[in-house]
Amino acid sequence: MTVVYKSKFYTFYQSDQKKCFYIDFGQKLVPLSFCQLLALRQKIITISIENHFYTEHNQHGLEILVFCNKEHLFVLNTFEILDLKELVEVGFSVLGISSPNTVIAS
Amino acid sequence: MKDIARQRLGINVEAMDLLNSQIKMEAHASATYLAMASWCEQNGFFTSAKFFYAQTEEERGHMMKIFKFLVDVGGNPISPEIGNINHDYASIVDVFETTLDHEIAVTKSIHNIVIKARSLGDITTERFLDWFVLEQVEEENTIRDILDMIEVTGTEGVGQQMIDNQINNWID
Ligand SMILES: [Fe+2]
Ligand SMILES: [Fe+2]
Repeated sequence: MTVVYKSKFYTFYQSDQKKCFYIDFGQKLVPLSFCQLLALRQKIITISIENHFYTEHNQHGLEILVFCNKEHLFVLNTFEILDLKELVEVGFSVLGISSPNTVIAS
Repeated sequence: MKDIARQRLGINVEAMDLLNSQIKMEAHASATYLAMASWCEQNGFFTSAKFFYAQTEEERGHMMKIFKFLVDVGGNPISPEIGNINHDYASIVDVFETTLDHEIAVTKSIHNIVIKARSLGDITTERFLDWFVLEQVEEENTIRDILDMIEVTGTEGVGQQMIDNQINNWID
């Protein structure tokens, strides 16, 4: 397994042998096919972090992230979400299918 | 490290995001034209209603074209959420003027994706959008012609019904 990118809380791996990806969430190492990775990225980039600060929609600042067709469920706080956003953004540019340093709009 | 991501996805991931936004925009256009058809039906512009029924289908077609392209390149097409569909129009002229504004906004959005794809070196996405660029020329032209016809006909007296009858010329 090769490390694609390591953020503060998470590590993103690629396995050449199994042709898949892994994200180490700390409590759990989650395997992901590329399709599942794309779907997870979509969920992460569309989380509105602004809602954690400027509105009353999400005063507690927690997000429930369900992915891989409901196989995994994580409850994450603002810092963890920001870190995860960084992980996918940098991770995808390391993978060579996204340009570096772009702000991804939802 | 093997290039697994590239093996799976044929386009740049940011281009994919923009194409997903475009899917949403086409869906919004489709829903807007359906709302216009509703307005036309309720206000006695039955030929214009037919025109907008055709338009709503056409926009749905555009949406599906992008959706299927994302499937073909191994992407993650998103079924869009749409809201805020305006059903209020001051007149039949307002309906067609709003339509032109919409089409111009769509043209700009497509051009933006072309420019972005070009800067990313994503030739596949750029070529795919060629069809849309030319389609927008036609769409804008149609609405401009209709607005010209409205101008010539005028809205006084039976003008509005004459306008509606002439819309038939733009229904294929
Ligand atoms: Fe369209
Ligand atoms: Fe259109």
